Amino acid sequence: MKKTISDYELIERFVKGEQSSFEQLIKRHKNKVFAYISLYIRDQALAEDLFQDTFLKVIQSVKSGKYYDNGKFISWVMRIAHNLIIDHFRRIKQLNTVSNDDYESDLFNSKRLAEANIEEHLIKRQIQKDIRKLINELPDDQKEVVILRHYAGLSFKEIADITEVSINTALGRMRYALINMRKMMEEKKISLTLN
Amino acid sequence: MGINSTQLLSYRDIKVRNTDLFEDAWGLNTQYHDVTDLLRKVRVVPRKRLTKRLLKKIRQIT
Repeated sequence: MKKTISDYELIERFVKGEQSSFEQLIKRHKNKVFAYISLYIRDQALAEDLFQDTFLKVIQSVKSGKYYDNGKFISWVMRIAHNLIIDHFRRIKQLNTVSNDDYESDLFNSKRLAEANIEEHLIKRQIQKDIRKLINELPDDQKEVVILRHYAGLSFKEIADITEVSINTALGRMRYALINMRKMMEEKKISLTLN
Repeated sequence: MGINSTQLLSYRDIKVRNTDLFEDAWGLNTQYHDVTDLLRKVRVVPRKRLTKRLLKKIRQIT
């Protein structure tokens, strides 16, 4: 059976000069990192910039010996992404320019259009928009847990570490988020069936 | 005697891979499966072009 190389092994190889190892790390974790950022940042171009900045910062930190392995590479990367997002919101607050509501999201990449007929594609797209709306209407602390768990794929232990709360608090937030989402689905009579 | 009993499961038969035990203990997936199933069906992925751009940038700086 083929053995999967651990994140730490890949980092070690990268530090020793094997550039392709870092590319492997990116390919392994890019979806999680991108999902986390893009569900937070509504501006697609900005989300893409932050996605790149996250990995560039990771490289910088690894090269300057700031990464110590404790088997949680992805949690560490997420924390970097998290801090970049916070920095972004701080900057916006300082500039007092919060206006990207007209952004038409295309963040949920559905299966290729060619595979489905147009009607099915449009229904899926509408459902994805509805789900995104539901997530966005959650209070920030609940939204964060939903994104980190369901789109970044982190465990509750990792979520608790990143958000600096206890595991029980993170779980409690998730429960409230799910209750709220269900309530919103009923109130708005959103029929979210995606087969 | 017609007694029905649950088949004994060995530890290795219990699937815990990809399961968050805290989440499981709180019953979040069983109680709210209608919402969580839906959330899971949506994928958010970066565009291929974006990944390519990032890899190119990294090759330049390393």
